[in-house]
Amino acid sequence: MTAALEADGVEVWLGRRAKSRILDGVGLTARSGEIVGLIGETGSGKTTLARAIVGLAPLHAGTVRVDGTPVSGLRGAELRRFRRTGRVQYVFQDPLRSLDPDVTVLDSVAEGPAIRGDGRAADRRARAVAALEQVGLDPALGDRLPGRLSGGQRQRVTIARALAVDPRVLLLDEPVSALDAANRNHVLRVLDRLRREREVAIVMISHDLGSLAGIADRIVVLYRGRVVEEGPAARVLLEPEDPYTQRLIASVPSIDGPRPTYARSTR
Amino acid sequence: MRALHAVGRAALIAVPVLLISTFITFGLGALSDQNPAAAAMGETATQADIDRLNHEFGLDRPFLERYVTWIADAFTGNLGRSWFTHIPVAESIGQRLPVSLSIAALALLLAVVLGAAAGIGAALNAGGWFDRAVTAVCAALSTIPAFVAGIALIVVFAVLVPVFPAGGYVPPSQGVGPWLTYLILPAVALSLDSAADLARQLRTGLVGTLRENYVTGAVVRGLGPRRVVFGHALRNGAGPAVAVLGLHVPRLIGGAVITETVFAMPGLGQLATTGALQGDVPVVQGTLLVAIALVLVSSVLVNVALARLRPGSGRTV
Repeated sequence: MTAALEADGVEVWLGRRAKSRILDGVGLTARSGEIVGLIGETGSGKTTLARAIVGLAPLHAGTVRVDGTPVSGLRGAELRRFRRTGRVQYVFQDPLRSLDPDVTVLDSVAEGPAIRGDGRAADRRARAVAALEQVGLDPALGDRLPGRLSGGQRQRVTIARALAVDPRVLLLDEPVSALDAANRNHVLRVLDRLRREREVAIVMISHDLGSLAGIADRIVVLYRGRVVEEGPAARVLLEPEDPYTQRLIASVPSIDGPRPTYARSTR
Repeated sequence: MRALHAVGRAALIAVPVLLISTFITFGLGALSDQNPAAAAMGETATQADIDRLNHEFGLDRPFLERYVTWIADAFTGNLGRSWFTHIPVAESIGQRLPVSLSIAALALLLAVVLGAAAGIGAALNAGGWFDRAVTAVCAALSTIPAFVAGIALIVVFAVLVPVFPAGGYVPPSQGVGPWLTYLILPAVALSLDSAADLARQLRTGLVGTLRENYVTGAVVRGLGPRRVVFGHALRNGAGPAVAVLGLHVPRLIGGAVITETVFAMPGLGQLATTGALQGDVPVVQGTLLVAIALVLVSSVLVNVALARLRPGSGRTV
């Protein structure tokens, strides 16, 4: 597997002083067909790292490469040209706020190919329909506005929108945290199929360690803007080495006392 | 379909509003103790003159019967005759309406263009010097009444730097250039408050919308700044501004009364003012009826615009 995404020494400062640093020399690699789980408490810098990768948070230091090509130095029209390739897609945390409330599902999903200038309108619609089917949505929902979809359907629409441009890297911010068990499993199966069939490199930010245990290959733990631990998912979740990771895993709520164990399912 | 629904809903509200407001308008006219003989002849009118003219204008009939006849005639375009000049009110309004509509339409256009440019510019530079300048200028403009702005514009652009006429009106049949020359100062005076309000509403709406994930997502997908603003942000952020603009349309129509007086323009406002000063009740009632109809029509149009702009919101004013 080749590295589709390489972030190295990423620093993001909120202001001009060093104490405003919210990411401090963070490295993150995701290979084609790999799912990397990014965990950490609120404010640890997970979302900022994802935003830095897609150029929404300016880097103070460090580099981001996609398929070996540096993209962190791109600005203006160059950055827009790169973005239009659709190689890196970012799925936001809140699916309702991620979809234009006055644009139909099909038009939203077809927007990426339209921005890129792919084919004719009919081709782009066909592509959008295929993307909806990939995430298990009935294309008949395409004429609906987002407000008339369930939370799970909206989340799958946002993933379909990312898939419509054949991304190499997919960044997902809490893709299952607001979903019920049935929808969560559906989304996780979609992601699992994506990495197997299309070799998409997936970075999944999640508080839901149970979901990550079932799907992630590797886990990266962020604490106060630094990577404190990373390794194979089963090792990090079952035998965490860093005291912060141990505390994070121990803090998962449990009904009957004993801490739940996270065994990665076989694929 | 949604636009049709919006028209239907607005029309359903407009009909009772029209009936109630015209009833009040007609009732106030009837309560004013004015009569055609006094209006035409003043203190020289005898009781016989008063009775004769009251009979001629149907004022000796019961109030409700007169109202029903008046409103029914109004739907056929007959608004009665002036007590003073005996000229049909509809004819007078027909001559003056284009003047008022020209001022209001140009003021609306200026308010939209200036307000949208300032609002969009401020939102795109939120927190920057342009944003702060727009906020300060809008706050200042909102406090200046149209007649003060009108007088200031006359002093500056007609007296100190005489590039526009101080007053009067030329119909478009005598040339679009001269017509616009006479309209521009009253339209600017009338539009400043609306432009300022529109800019502020648009700025606030857009700043919120530009932070929405679907806008950020469009940027991440490589959409250019212009298409981000006009394709996503403006439609979703402009709702409150359009609604506010809908509330300003009646003010533009009503404000024309003052502006026409300041700029000595023969418009609807001047007709109503002259009618009121002369005690010419049919003229006042007729102009008010037309003004009410204009306000209701503009309200329906704004609702249609909102329904088309934001089909997902179902928002109306």
